[in-house]
Amino acid sequence: MSAQPLPLRFAGVFSRRPGTLGSAWRQPLAIAGMVLAGAWIAIAILVPLIAPYNPLTQSSQLVLAPSASHLFGTDELGRDVFSRVLWASRLSLPLAFFLVAMAVLIGGVLGGLAGYFGGWVDEVVMRATDLVFAFPTIILAMAVTAALGPSLRNAVLAVLVVFWPSYARVVRGLVMSLGQSDYVSAARLLGASSRRALVVDVLPNVAGPVLVLATLDLGNAVLLLAGLSFLGLGAQPPTPEWGSMVNTGTQYFERWWMGTFPGFAILSVVLAFNFLGDSLRDALDPRSSWAVQR
Amino acid sequence: MPGWQLGLLSRPFVRFLGRRLAALVLLGIGITFVAFVLTELVPGDPAAANLGQRAIADPAAVQAFREHYGLDKPLPVQYAVYLEHLVTGDLGQSEQSHRPVRSDLSEFVPATAELAVTSILIAFVLGISLGILSAVRRNRLTDQVLRVISLGGISMPTFWLALVALYVFFFKLGWVPGSGRLDPGVLPAPHVTGLYTIDALLAGQFDVFVSAAQHLILPAGVLAAYNVGLLTRFTRSAVLEVINNDYVQAARAKGLPERTVVLRHVLRAALPPIITVGGLAFANVMTGTVLVESIFGWPGIGQYAFHSATTLDLPAIMGVSLFVAVVYIVVNFLVDILYGVVDPRIRVA
Repeated sequence: MSAQPLPLRFAGVFSRRPGTLGSAWRQPLAIAGMVLAGAWIAIAILVPLIAPYNPLTQSSQLVLAPSASHLFGTDELGRDVFSRVLWASRLSLPLAFFLVAMAVLIGGVLGGLAGYFGGWVDEVVMRATDLVFAFPTIILAMAVTAALGPSLRNAVLAVLVVFWPSYARVVRGLVMSLGQSDYVSAARLLGASSRRALVVDVLPNVAGPVLVLATLDLGNAVLLLAGLSFLGLGAQPPTPEWGSMVNTGTQYFERWWMGTFPGFAILSVVLAFNFLGDSLRDALDPRSSWAVQR
Repeated sequence: MPGWQLGLLSRPFVRFLGRRLAALVLLGIGITFVAFVLTELVPGDPAAANLGQRAIADPAAVQAFREHYGLDKPLPVQYAVYLEHLVTGDLGQSEQSHRPVRSDLSEFVPATAELAVTSILIAFVLGISLGILSAVRRNRLTDQVLRVISLGGISMPTFWLALVALYVFFFKLGWVPGSGRLDPGVLPAPHVTGLYTIDALLAGQFDVFVSAAQHLILPAGVLAAYNVGLLTRFTRSAVLEVINNDYVQAARAKGLPERTVVLRHVLRAALPPIITVGGLAFANVMTGTVLVESIFGWPGIGQYAFHSATTLDLPAIMGVSLFVAVVYIVVNFLVDILYGVVDPRIRVA
């Protein structure tokens, strides 16, 4: 086995010990995460009702500082920054959920097959994950997007390329170790089919670690997509997108509001998912818990 | 400890080294394969993509290009030709600079190396200190505050942090100089390493050193933010793994001050797992440089990659990606070896 060590953001996810979810929701951090994430999801849904201006409408009021009529000021084309920041959530949030769902699906299926069948299936899948992990994420995502041509669709594809392997590895590892564990063997001895063993005994134990990883990856997806758009490879103008808005902000350095507010949006969304993911990990894995008494 | 010094020459260690080296070579070949496949994916004529608008009108140039890269041959042969070019250091020609990508890279690497090394040093010192503090004060207010701060570090979009930090510390407060590696009018010391701070010290030019260090501090600090968060969290859990072990209790029972116990006995055992974060920390810094260098006007490969991305200079993008990936797997290899040296269990297993 020459598989590279797992990237360390999964440290802790591995020491699975299914706990109760209940305790997670009493932590202040989890509450803060839920409130922030909930607020952003509400904004994404209600944005046509709450955004004061059309995010694409240009006006003659160029680069105005924040004021009562333009809370976050206006940009170089006279568009309302506040409305653009709010509208951009409609892009980033659904895409993040979509990306992570697809990554879980693709990575989970491939990892499950690799762990279940072993042999050459395992070898092929694991070598593919090695290759993806051989690149720093944004470097590979950048190369993929650039090769396919800069567009939001290709940026999403690129993020998918770099995201699936972590799920494949986690699921493979769990399926392998669970397949050899006593209680799965016991179920098999009792006459349960392999499919039943997989669905009834293995899946529920895989779900916890994958859920933690997926929650944290929601934040990573938002960051990576914003980064690609910042590089001009993701969302194209005039679409309101946080990363490309920060990029514009760097070109109007002294008009601080143009870049600062979209950045706050990214930070708060990512923070919300990281708060949630971290609290979930605490609940599911008491050993690595931040709150547990030792 | 002569035990593990001898152990380095032992057969298990040599075998461990050999296995890791073989994995490194295989990964290296894999990376070139990925890069090759990506260049094949480029829609349209690769000659057009590589030669740019002007040269494509010249049939002779197109023909020469096709022959040079074996484009008239089947794909496996093209890959072989591609590998042959790579071995000789031919990464193609940048559309923007009209120079070989390799010369572009070698010009920009030292600036990024200086930035990356400084940033990783800052991150390890700060992250390990904060992590120890967090573990020692576990579950108290300090610990909870550090938890939020470290989560903030890994949630921060680096490119935004760079913008805000530059605005505040340069534009508003004037604490640090603006873009570039040196103040205007200051000439770099004679080129030895390409790292301006080191070169200045070697030449004994103290004023140049100060200028270079002042320019370095803000970008390096911004790039360290993510890794500080990561290392704080990692150190905390690594320290908690060992802090209540029997031998630590024994050290306490001997009457050693808590400070000595933590720094000598606990940290020593907690350090090996922390080393493994090195590879990931490097990846994070490279990710950061691509997004941040252009904001600081830092003439490194990050800025080169940024400009290549925004202008869709494909040969340059592929060259940078390949280079960074190769450095990354070498760093991971070194981290593995170091881990094997520090923790004998790894190399036997």
